[in-house]
Formats: sequence, C-alpha cells, structure tokens
Amino acid sequence: MLDRRDFLKLGGATAFAALFGGCDRIPKKIIPFVIPPENTALGESLWYASACRQCPAGCGIVVRVSEGRAKKIEGNPLHPVNRGKLCARGQAGLQALYHPERIGRPLKLSGPRGSGKFAETSWEEALSILLTGLKKLQAAAPASLLMLTEPMRGHRNLVAARFMRAFGSPHRIAWDPFGQDALLAANEAVFGIRDVPEYDIANARYLLSFSGDFLETGISPVHYGRAYGQMRQSRPTVRGKFVHFGPRLSMTAANADVFLPIAPGSEGAAALGIAHVMVREKLTPSAAAAASLWAAGLSRMTPEAVGKATGLLPSDIEAVAHEFAGNAPGIAMAGDGAAGCTNGTYNLAGAALLNALAGNVGRQGGISFPNRLAAFSRFGADAALLLPPPESGFASVRDSVEKMRKGTYRMALLSGSTNPAFSLPAPLKFGEALLSVPQVVSFASFLDETASLSDLVLPVPTFLEEWGDDIAPAGHAGDALSMLQPVVDPFRDTRQMPDILIAAARELGGAVAAALPWAGFRECLEKSYAGMGVNLEAARRDGGVFPGKTPAPRTAPKAQRPSLPVAAEAEFEGDPARYPLFLHVYPSIAHSDGRGANLSWLQELPDPVTTAVWRNWVEVNPKTAETLGLADGDGVVVASPFGSMEAFVVVHPATAPGVVALPLGQGHTRYGTNAANRGGNPFSLLPVKADRGSGAPARQSTRVSLAKAKLAGSLVRTVNVEGQWKYENIL
Amino acid sequence: MKHKWAMVIDMDRCTGCGACVVACVAENNTPTAGEEEAGKGRLMQWLRVSRFWKKEGEDTRAIFVPTPCMHCEKAPCEIVCPVYATYHDEDDQVNAMVYNRCIGTRYCANNCPYSVRVFNWWNHQWEKPLDEQLNPDLSVRSRGVMEKCTYCIQRIRRGKETALKEGRKIRDGEVVPACAQTCPPGAILFGDLLDPDSAVSRMVKDPRLFKLMEHLGTEPKTAYLKKQKGPGR
Repeated sequence: MLDRRDFLKLGGATAFAALFGGCDRIPKKIIPFVIPPENTALGESLWYASACRQCPAGCGIVVRVSEGRAKKIEGNPLHPVNRGKLCARGQAGLQALYHPERIGRPLKLSGPRGSGKFAETSWEEALSILLTGLKKLQAAAPASLLMLTEPMRGHRNLVAARFMRAFGSPHRIAWDPFGQDALLAANEAVFGIRDVPEYDIANARYLLSFSGDFLETGISPVHYGRAYGQMRQSRPTVRGKFVHFGPRLSMTAANADVFLPIAPGSEGAAALGIAHVMVREKLTPSAAAAASLWAAGLSRMTPEAVGKATGLLPSDIEAVAHEFAGNAPGIAMAGDGAAGCTNGTYNLAGAALLNALAGNVGRQGGISFPNRLAAFSRFGADAALLLPPPESGFASVRDSVEKMRKGTYRMALLSGSTNPAFSLPAPLKFGEALLSVPQVVSFASFLDETASLSDLVLPVPTFLEEWGDDIAPAGHAGDALSMLQPVVDPFRDTRQMPDILIAAARELGGAVAAALPWAGFRECLEKSYAGMGVNLEAARRDGGVFPGKTPAPRTAPKAQRPSLPVAAEAEFEGDPARYPLFLHVYPSIAHSDGRGANLSWLQELPDPVTTAVWRNWVEVNPKTAETLGLADGDGVVVASPFGSMEAFVVVHPATAPGVVALPLGQGHTRYGTNAANRGGNPFSLLPVKADRGSGAPARQSTRVSLAKAKLAGSLVRTVNVEGQWKYENIL
Repeated sequence: MKHKWAMVIDMDRCTGCGACVVACVAENNTPTAGEEEAGKGRLMQWLRVSRFWKKEGEDTRAIFVPTPCMHCEKAPCEIVCPVYATYHDEDDQVNAMVYNRCIGTRYCANNCPYSVRVFNWWNHQWEKPLDEQLNPDLSVRSRGVMEKCTYCIQRIRRGKETALKEGRKIRDGEVVPACAQTCPPGAILFGDLLDPDSAVSRMVKDPRLFKLMEHLGTEPKTAYLKKQKGPGR
C-alpha cells in the first residue's frame, strides 16, 4: 500500500531523478541528506515480540516491521535472558529471512543422491511422497523410521516426540555438537543435580573461568555478557575480578584481569590444585569440613604437582585459591574447551567442586539450580519433552550411523541447523552412511551439507515467520516462557515441521492421529496454553510469560558434602613425533558450529581476536611459528591422523606454545555462495572420540602437524588500516 | 531545541563481541563489501572493533576498542571538504554528511586520524530479496560518495519528533543508536551533553575518561572510559 507520505517521498524521488537524469540507479526511496529537510517525515513502524533461534540460548527479541517487512531485530527489554540486548548472530537473523538462496518450494531430487541437484515440485506432490513413504513404513516396519533433528524445546519437541512414539519408532535423535553432557554429568557427580546451573555473574566478586568462552559462545552469551558488564562496573565499590585459565587467549580470555595459559585438557587438574590449597589452609567453612576429599586424593594435588601437569606457576595457584576463597561470592565455570576433552567431565567437575568448597551454591552472586518445568507440571510425563536436557546426542548419532550402514532404517526425517554431515567428525562418515538410507526427507531452509544428501526437501519458515514457544536453558528462574509469532507473512512457500507432522498424522490415522489431535501447530500451542491459563494475547504482546515471583531454586543435595571428581587425563590421538602440536578447536563467535556461515553480515564481522573476515585461519604461537619457519599470513596444510585441511597462519602472541587453534564454522562445501569454499572444515581433522564421563564429543583430542603450502588468495584482516593504529598512539 | 550528542564507551564493560558492528550494519543500510574488496581495505562498516596487542611485562594482552566516528568538535574532515558535504550540524552538534553534495574527493577520509570514514567505490547491490531489509528511514548511498557513522541521526530525529508531538523535552535515554541499544554488556552510553542531568554528562566527569588521540586537538565527542586495572596476579 502506498500511503500519502510515501507518495510524497516517491514524488520527491521522481523530481530528483528528472533533475539529475544522468545519474544511473536512483535508489527507490531517496532521503539524500543525512539530516533531511523538515518536510520528509519518518514512517511509523510496528514492533512484534518473538524469540531468537539463531543459537540455542533463546533470547527474546522485538522486530521492527515496516509496511509488512521486517527491518531490524532488537532484544526484548522484558525478556529475563537478554533484557533488550542481542548479539551479532541474533541481529543477522534478518539475513536468513531474506536470503536469496532460501528454499522457496519443495525440492525433489533430480540427479543421483548426494549430487545436490534438485527440481522444484508442488506441496501436493511433496506431501504425497512423504505420506506414501510413511504409510508403507507404518504397515511394514514402523521402527525403521529415523528422526534426526537439532535439539528442540517447547511444543515443537512435544509434537515430534509424540509423532515418533505413536508411529512406533524409538529412533528419535537430537544432535548438538556443543551439547552440555559434560556439564550435566559433572553437576550430577558433584551436586547430585543433573542440570545446567544459573550463574549469577552480575553479583559475583570473583569469576574463575576454565577454557570457557562464555562471552562469545556457549550456553547464553548475551545473558552472560550483560551480567559481565554489571559485574565490572555497576556496583559503586566492587569491581568483580575475572581470572581465566585456558590454552588460548580467546576474546573472553582477553577480558580477564589475569589470563593463565595452561596445557589443553588440564583444566580439571588446575581446579583441583586450587581446591587443594583451599582445603589445606581451611580457607572457607566448607573447605575446612572437607577432610574426606583430602583423604580421597586431594592431598596429592599439590600446587607443585599441578604446576607440572598444567604449566602453571605454583605461586599463581596459591594466589588464586586465596583470592577465590577470600572474595565470596564467586563463581567457577568451565566451558567448551574444557568439556570437549576426553576428560571433559573431570574438568567440569573440578570447577563445580570449587563452587561447593567456596560455599557459592544457592547464594546471590554464586550458582544455583532453578526449579525448571514448574510451569508445565500439567503435562505430567510429557513435561520433560518441553524442556529436554541440553545433551549432544553424540552416542545416539554414532549408533545411528552404524544402523544406517546395517540397513536398520528405511526412511529418515532430518531437520535443524546443526547439520550433522558437516559438524560430525569426518572419520564417522555420516554423509556416506546417510546415502544408504533408502528415503531421506529434510525439513530445511537452506541446502546445507545434510539437506543436500536427501531426496526430498520440504522448505520450512525461518524463526521470524513461525509460531512457537521456547524455554531458554539459562538466564531466568526456570519459569520464563518465550512465545514465537510470525512477525511477517511467510516470505516463501513454506510450512512448519510440526504442521507437516500434524497433517501427516491425520492422514496416517489411528494412534498417530490420536496423539496429535490438532488442526495445526498454532492450535496445538493455543489449546495447550489456554489450558494452562496463559493469556495468549498478552503473552504474544510481551514476547512470553515472565512471572515476577520466581520459584525458589532447588537445593543441591550433595553441595555440602561433594565428592572428589575421579581423576582422568586428557588423551590425544596422533604420534607426537609426527604430529607435534596440540589442536584446540573452538566455535567461532560469528558462525558457531557453521550455521552462521551463509550470512554475509556474519562473514564480514571481523573475528574479535584475529580481525579476520570471510575465511579460515590457524592461530600459532610466535615461537612455534619461528621453529616451523612460518610467518604470519603463510598458507599451511594442517594435518591430523584423520584428515587434513588448508588454512592461513595467524601468529597469535598469546596462544600457548605447542598448541594451534582453529575456529569451527567455516569449510562448507554446500550451504550457498557465502559459505561454500572458504577454507577447510576443522571437523574433518577430528577423531571419533568421546568424553569418558559423559559421552560428549571430544573435539580437543588430537595432535596435528603444520606444513607450509602455497594457497590461492590471502587472509583478509582489518587491523591497522592506515598503519598509524598503534596502541601507544591512541592514548 | 539544541543538543550536543555524545557517546561514552566503557572499555571496562566492552567484551569485543561485535554485536554493535552488526547492529550498525542492519540499522544504517551498510553494504557488504565481499572478500575481495575487504582485502583492499574497503570494508563498509561504520563501526569497527579495533584490536590491539599490548605487551604487559611477560604477558601479551588483547585490547578491544570499538571505534565509531568521533564527531569531533574541531573536526579535521570538515575543513578540507571543498563542497561542504561534510559539515557541523548546528542543532545536534554532530558531524554530518550531505550525500548528494559529496563529489568523492576523499579528502575528508584522508584527513580523519581515526580512519572511520568509508567510501563507496561501487554502486553496491543488495541481491533480491535482501533489499527488503533496508531501513526506510535512510537512503542507500551511491558510488563516489563518502559515508560514516551518524550517531544514528534518524533515531535522533525520531526522538525529537516524538518529543515535539508530545510537547516535552527529549528524555535521557530516549534516543539510543543501534550500537548502544544492542551492546550486551552495556558498554556504550549515549546522550545529550547539554542536559546536565543526563548519564553521559555524569560519565564525562569520570576520572577514567580519555579520548582517542587527544593530543591532536580534535576534541572528539565520542569518549572512552579506561579499562580499570585489576589487582593483577
């Protein structure tokens, strides 16, 4: 619709075009001055509340919509997770909505499987292919249906789970390369609660981080980032101190007051060294009462012994222990770098034990375990389906690959952005195994590596066009519900996966239809929340239901008497003579596991530490680089016993010697022009290894070698544009 | 109604995450340069997070400095523009650009000590339907035109219009540029220095305050609060 204001604007534009006819490509809407003249008025917009699905953190968003088009995503100020703030990936959600390469119609394979050649087809035909397959399976062997998705929460998980259960197949798997298995296992061992804790960083006086890049990636980066700002500067007399242990100076580590480099996989030892000093000196009441830990083996973790294992100075361990104990409340947290080792659970349990010893559990400025699911008790046994534990599903995925090869599955339904054909270790050969499944149907917005292997692709809307609900895994008292609503009319001819499943169930009839008794997913949500007494209109206006009165957190049964984590050493594949360097991989702040790589805003967001854009790199310590005869910007082949890839060297002055670091996320072969062919995929270097305590994928578990190679192109970085940009000059 | 808009960036809160960069790109219709152009130093972002390596005894530290336009009161870019395309706005005290006056001499960029100006070497294209995202409150810029951070002048104007309609003064915190709006740790603060009660007016009295390349005498209105030095080891 053209209203009067726009008519005037366009009129102005035409007059302008007539005057300066020689200029080509006059923009459609011209407001040529930065400060336009008085008579051009800004149009009014509407703001719709919803929730972000660019990563699993589940932040609340508000979206500016002007003339039916989404223009800008901002954080929802009412949402307890992010309070109006949003990260770069969330901001870039618009580019997924308007992506030129989005799948707009159902696609049917038109070449050999895996060729990536598809032809558009109608929804009628696509759905009939899906239904024919399902009906055949239902009659013959319902248990040979596989559903492999990203981790889902809320009612879309409920629908998927009920569908599979009623259909009669136990093979429902959710794959998340950054699942929190090790954290769950560690908290179960130390506190007796298998859950993700709530870290009250904002009120902490002392923050210990073990290889946890919590300000970049991880459970809830915006929530923690906001709390970090408050920890530093919102209290008149207290500025929280932040100490980081880890093998690499990440962006998070760069923010620490003290960064202490340690050997990869030695985070647990470092934590127990601190615990040793706390118990030996009886620095806190809990530590004084922990004689049983001392006897169980903590007495052996002397600062000297730990110093040898980690590379730390014994004096640093003593100092950190005294400071941590003396500056309560504090928090010890460990992240992906520590969890992704073969001793991940041990590393995370070490950090958890420090919280118990310092008496940080259940207090303001410490950690607590919220009472989740209180809002959903009405669902009984199905309540857990609305907020499944954030596990990786690695063991199930590996098992499913075996089963694919054995021919257990006749049909597979795939969905989600975790892209297993890209984000699983290459030696697992997931893609090859998937090709042996007779029929593969993907629910996808983009043709990524996984969807390209299917023979039918059903286009799904982006999160800005769909109905839904969500419960964030962290950042609230456990009872905050987010509501998703379409902020724009569906931009492509898409259908939501739960809608397709509900429609399919109706056709299949019997138990399946009875399990999903709704006309569509929207009705499912509305009936469910109406039954809970939720005012849906208000919930959609506010972006969710955020109760002011919060339920009291759960008590941790073992917090007073924690047990000592079972010591475990990190194992690394590869002969040290042939592969002399430890490989440290970390999720990139822009692309995470690779899902952001197709958005140009994120490709062009300089990496915080290296300032590199559009391509992959490998971070090498200056001394290591010198020994290997490598200079900054050189091309290298990074080789592990499992694969090799090309990358450009970035000499990184604060990576531990003997360690090279690679960001995950680049290295796509499919997934559109922005993503494909931008260097190698670090997942291809990784062994199929798991954390012994939890079964999570152990990414930090191989050694590599670097060999100089001539590569086409170069790595683009944005520092020192003009040369005069030296730190000394700006102050 | 006169204003003197200013920005204070607290480096003790800033984590370097880059949310501000993408928020700015989304708000201001900033084109994507692509890898090749980026390699020539032609990234179009109006705000960058500069990273410095700093040697501190044994340790090397990385320091992040978000760098938008400084909106200098004695702006070196303004005095060299032969066509008054970049000028000092009287009402808002911002350093503004008139895109259709710009003839592309790039003298301003050359004279900017902070390297915050970007030049349109091409008519940038938004592959359809990516153009649907463009912010209707401001234009896209054509080839041969210089552009830079405007403190989100369209948001300032919207705030002024709303205040005028409601017959009141602009409230502190009512006008927030996209970068400050999204900044997760709340490192970017924006407000009016002519309002003695505004948060920025208080912040500019902070003893941690410094300005980039203060010795040049450009009198930047974007100021920084020093990263506080913790007790160390």
